[in-house]
Amino acid sequence: MKNTLKICLAFVLLTTAFACNKETATTSTDVMQNMISNKTWYLDYSITGTVVQNFVGQATYYISFLKNGTTQDSDGLTGTYSIVNENGTYLLKVNAKTLNGNTLNYIHTLESVGDVKMVHSLVNNGQANKTLLFFTAK
Amino acid sequence: MKSRVLRGVFLGLVLICCFLKTEAQTNSKQKKGSFSLFGLLSLNNQRIDDKGIAVPVNYLYNSVNNNAFKPGYSGGFRWDGNAEKLNTYSIIVGINKVSAGTYYKNKYTLSPYPDDFTHFKADNNFTTLSLAAHFKKILPVNKMDKYKFYAVAGPSVDYKITDISNENLINGAGNRGIINADLGAEFDNKGYYVLFAHYKIGTNLFNSNVPMRLNRFEIGMSIKAKDLF
Repeated sequence: MKNTLKICLAFVLLTTAFACNKETATTSTDVMQNMISNKTWYLDYSITGTVVQNFVGQATYYISFLKNGTTQDSDGLTGTYSIVNENGTYLLKVNAKTLNGNTLNYIHTLESVGDVKMVHSLVNNGQANKTLLFFTAK
Repeated sequence: MKSRVLRGVFLGLVLICCFLKTEAQTNSKQKKGSFSLFGLLSLNNQRIDDKGIAVPVNYLYNSVNNNAFKPGYSGGFRWDGNAEKLNTYSIIVGINKVSAGTYYKNKYTLSPYPDDFTHFKADNNFTTLSLAAHFKKILPVNKMDKYKFYAVAGPSVDYKITDISNENLINGAGNRGIINADLGAEFDNKGYYVLFAHYKIGTNLFNSNVPMRLNRFEIGMSIKAKDLF
């Protein structure tokens, strides 16, 4: 029976010592990175204020994110991307070049990220309302 | 974190005290128990409340939600106290392979998408190491000198020994410890073997942003080790 008692004690010590959370600073961004990478995302809807544009079933804007951190889109932009957490706001940062070789960097706020659906937001210059972009991975 | 550890220590002390007390009673009467091996099949379901998730991730609700009981299995050993006493106990140590159906309590929408979403995807295949301390009360049915029926109840603790996915670590949701309340019935056939059916309802041992409730039905059999080897 002493062995049983030892097992009980070992189990209790094990659960007490190690039953802690192990979230790291990059856990959330790693999960998001995995969700969006190696997929092509097609724009379904664009919403600015009350104006809704529906692109479902039409030739639409798309953007691909690869596992190696590179991206390219239907406008010909190629470059790198990263997801960062700034005070609880998750940002998609893209450093790209146009077909002409001009640098074009932009930052979108990630409103929601999943394996299939993704929502970005941005505020264009001179615009009062933010624009929400709804993507679907195919 | 400190309060979590204190709660764990307290729980451990309670378990150890219960065990020592029962053991002392048995030893004082110069009676011995029996050591058995067991195997069981289980049906498992977990209920998830993801309200504590602040990270903007989404999962299609219909692709992750499966409010069903899925099968698992366990094996291990148990120590049963003196079978001649009306009230006795068993200490069970086992390894459980759990495959659980998962019900997500909350649904979210992302208009204009027509789909429902959840903010969390629970691990539904995992392995736990478990420890249970069951109080057994003999039921006055049939000839008790041959066949014994018991009602059993008691606490058990599970510890996940498989890796926790990153999805389950978001916002501190990951939690390896599960504490259960067990209820069940057991049939002892002349000491040759014991057939048992247990129902376990469990929850996170420590605070989690994603509280879960794990329901398990188990049926199994134990055989005395000395009869096997």
